Amino acid sequence: MILSLKLAYRNLIGAGLRTWLSVIVLSMSYVVIIWMQGFLEGWNQQARRDTIEQEIGGGQYWHAHYDPYDSLTLKESHAPAPAVLQSENTAPILIAQATIYPQGRMQSVVLKGIDPAQSVLALLTSALAKKGAYLPVLLGERAAKSANLRVGDQVTVRWRDAHGTYDAREAQVVHIMDTDVPTVDAGTFWVPLEDLRSMLQMPREATLLVVDETFNDPPSLTGWVFRDQTFLLEDFTSMMKMERVSSAIMYTILLALALLAIFDTQVLSIFRRRREIGTLIALGMTRGGVIRLFTIEGALHGVLAVGVAALYGVPLLIWQAHVGLSMPEVVDNYGMAIASTIYPAYSVRLVVGTVLLVMAAVTLISYLPTRRIARLNPTDAIRGKLS
Amino acid sequence: MKKQLLIPFALLTCGAFAQTPSGHSILEKVDANMTSETSITTSKMIIHGRRVSRTIESRSWSTGADNAFTEYLAPARERGTKMLKLGDRLWMYSPDTDRTIQLSGHMLRQSVMGSDLSYEDMMDDPRLAQIYAAEIVGTEAVEERPCWVLQLTANEQDVAYQSRKLWVDQERYVPVREELYAKGGKLLKRINLSGFKRIDERWYPMRMVFKDMLKNGKGTEFIVATIEFNAEIPSHILTKAALRR
Amino acid sequence: MIRFLIKGLLRDRSRSLFPVMVVAIGVALTVLLQSWINGVMSDMIRSNANYSTGHIKLTTRAYAANEEQNPNDLALLDAGPLTDRLQKKYPGLHFVSRIRFGGLLDIPDEQGETREQAPVAGLGIDLLSPGSTEADRLNIRKSIIRGRMPEKPGEVLVSEDLARKLAVGPGRAATVLGSTMYGSMAMHNFTIVGTVRFGIAAMDRGAMVADLDDVRRMLDMEDTAAELLGYFDDGQYRDTAAVRIVAEVNAAVDNPTDEFAPVMRALRDQNDLAEYLDLAKNMTRIISGVFVVAMSIVLWNLGLIAGLRRYGEIGVRLAIGEQKGHIYCSMLLESVAVGLLGTLAGIAVGLIPAWYLQEYGVDIGAMMDNSSMMISSVMRAQITVQTFLIGFVPGLLSTVLGTALAGTGIYRRQTSQLFKELEV
Repeated sequence: MILSLKLAYRNLIGAGLRTWLSVIVLSMSYVVIIWMQGFLEGWNQQARRDTIEQEIGGGQYWHAHYDPYDSLTLKESHAPAPAVLQSENTAPILIAQATIYPQGRMQSVVLKGIDPAQSVLALLTSALAKKGAYLPVLLGERAAKSANLRVGDQVTVRWRDAHGTYDAREAQVVHIMDTDVPTVDAGTFWVPLEDLRSMLQMPREATLLVVDETFNDPPSLTGWVFRDQTFLLEDFTSMMKMERVSSAIMYTILLALALLAIFDTQVLSIFRRRREIGTLIALGMTRGGVIRLFTIEGALHGVLAVGVAALYGVPLLIWQAHVGLSMPEVVDNYGMAIASTIYPAYSVRLVVGTVLLVMAAVTLISYLPTRRIARLNPTDAIRGKLS
Repeated sequence: MKKQLLIPFALLTCGAFAQTPSGHSILEKVDANMTSETSITTSKMIIHGRRVSRTIESRSWSTGADNAFTEYLAPARERGTKMLKLGDRLWMYSPDTDRTIQLSGHMLRQSVMGSDLSYEDMMDDPRLAQIYAAEIVGTEAVEERPCWVLQLTANEQDVAYQSRKLWVDQERYVPVREELYAKGGKLLKRINLSGFKRIDERWYPMRMVFKDMLKNGKGTEFIVATIEFNAEIPSHILTKAALRR
Repeated sequence: MIRFLIKGLLRDRSRSLFPVMVVAIGVALTVLLQSWINGVMSDMIRSNANYSTGHIKLTTRAYAANEEQNPNDLALLDAGPLTDRLQKKYPGLHFVSRIRFGGLLDIPDEQGETREQAPVAGLGIDLLSPGSTEADRLNIRKSIIRGRMPEKPGEVLVSEDLARKLAVGPGRAATVLGSTMYGSMAMHNFTIVGTVRFGIAAMDRGAMVADLDDVRRMLDMEDTAAELLGYFDDGQYRDTAAVRIVAEVNAAVDNPTDEFAPVMRALRDQNDLAEYLDLAKNMTRIISGVFVVAMSIVLWNLGLIAGLRRYGEIGVRLAIGEQKGHIYCSMLLESVAVGLLGTLAGIAVGLIPAWYLQEYGVDIGAMMDNSSMMISSVMRAQITVQTFLIGFVPGLLSTVLGTALAGTGIYRRQTSQLFKELEV
């Protein structure tokens, strides 16, 4: 076996340029597969992390009538926050509809009241602690852009309290946050919870409560529905599945191309070395031994390709992981968290898995043409004839 | 006949015995002019849009502050559209569809036909003296007529506007200007009333201009062509069945 | 001579079949891959173009500024003549009018009174005029879950999710309550004839599609268009052309400062698509580049095989006095023939799955559980002119290059050594 390996290696290196060409093609498939998968994994991790940190926490208790996609439900979906959840690791959020009048135009927004001192969500709510004549407002970049507001700008906000009485106040933008999570941004004005409660005349009430990740075993509460992370991340999980299928199709084709090169090389070398094959058989090597020799030779392409891929791939992938890949804003339209820059994440499992997958494919494709050897007549082979 | 004599007499006595009446009594007199048990109105609404101005004619029957029935007369597109308000519920009927649709809460806050009035504003005909406490905060001349300036604050919670400011003609006891404020004190709407006409024993403004103060635009004019107070309104008019007729 | 070579190729299968097959497979893979990448990368662009931005879009200035709020009061007037003028000036584009509106969808009970009500986002497109491309553009026909396409005025489709929420199905009457272009109340009766799954979450939550003429009647928008969208005839967005047309049209507007003056925007200028467009272009180039290189290497390899296989034959030809240059030339010509044949076959073979993937796509909807879909669950390839070219470059060039490299061996052979070499 070791002899076969040594022999195979020597033969392969002896073939020179052609071997290296095939190896280079094959190495590209390693790098592309790892890069693509790493990119998706990086995206996946980043989006989940951001969504969890900034929006969903360890899960949310929704008021039974709350439907995030139907603003008509907001009027009915608030109640005093359950006493059991009054702790540091929950952040109650009260939601109401309002109208803003930037530059004399009317625009509907959603007011979300959150405790400025909360630490459950990684939003810069501390900016809302500012006391003053104006209602402090925290905005995402999308909301700021759509209302044409900058930090320090004032805008009239009009709403109706629990009794239907009109109220209006000047609000001032205290901070504009750059967030990747569109649902905490688009059309949303974050205001201090207590201010909103008194504005709406809804003391101690909330529409939903975000619990942090240390929160285990959520108790069931009447009037409130617990939505866990799986539920809240469902859309994203679906999209990720889709992206995976898409990239799998892409690299399957790439791999097929590389395998074509190996197949090609194998056919060529068997043809060129028929005398050698004949000689080996004549000298007493079994046909199986010869097949093994050639298969190993072919499979060694895969091994060499790992080396070559490492040579240029490792720096390339590390550089890519360092600088990231910038993503366009438009992706926001899908309503999912996508950072402006995605940093690929490569796991050991990914690298090892890719190597094993490619190796298996290369070995198989190297074996296929060698079956011809089994039908080879050694005397013909020595004379250079291929049946 | 007796009644007709009584009112000027009452005014006279007020003027004689108290130089400055209380806010509340002014408000009651304003209500006496502006509201009635029932009314039948034919009116024109001129809406100044960003592009074109439109005139919509309608006829309304109302009883009390809460119930009203409106039928649109012109333009052709609007003709036959009817609106019924009973308490806090509102139904719309359009002859094209032959459907009666109930408008839910948030729809009531939408603007009526693109105007500066919401459905609520339109149907809101409150007896101010019952809802608001009034305080005279000054006197001011509006269009050369001396007026009391009244500051109104709601006595109850379930009102759309927590406070109002009213400029009341000192002689005729009609508002010539009204401002509607948010609870926090922000001016939301301003109404200018003019074209006062003597109808029966009361003064009534035949032209009102509504302006949403937070929004850009020229406001909405409301012109009363005819108005009949305390006329008999057949009970079948203020029913859902009337919408389809 | 060429005929002779071709005859030789046809008769010697090992000389023709195997190389042609390898070239064909390689080219087919490249073609398939290019169209796939193209499809995936342009998926977002396509759905943006089809649903919202068009390849170019004409609106009034004021509409463009408040687009998110569907401000139909700011629509373009005289849409008919305007469309005709544009259509005449730019025959390579197809112009369509659309109207978006918000309203309430009201479902009556037996007495004709409100039973259920929900907010609805309406889209008015040309569904009924003969030869209209809109239904296909939005892929509505294939997205129908229940019922059928509207066939006459007054028939609408609603999103499946909304239909379930309101507990209605095909055949039910519904009234839409909206607001006309001038702000008046608009009520219109429709018959729901089908339900659709758009594959775009925002629309699946509560959208309806109605015929443009119905919507115009309902919203008092006769001969107006909220948005006038232009699409290139082949359905592909061409950035340079779009940007040029936009510049031309905008320069020709008489009163550019008027808020109701028309303003045209290219797909690039809307929804922050510019950056993505550039990224997509670069990604397609980079990935395609990698493939062309890989392909070339494979085919070079093949050229080497071809040269080596015929070592003996060439020896004999040299021995009987044929010029080295002549042999080299004839081999190159042969490789051109092989490359050409293989490339053509490869493009043809590659286009079949590519076409299938373009037309039918890979539907992974079944894998997606019951989650509300954010994007189309069908992934598609996209065939462009580039798809044809990208197969040609490596297919032909690399075969010839491979032969040229491999063929240099001919010049290294010594005539005096030939017979010794050929002694078998």
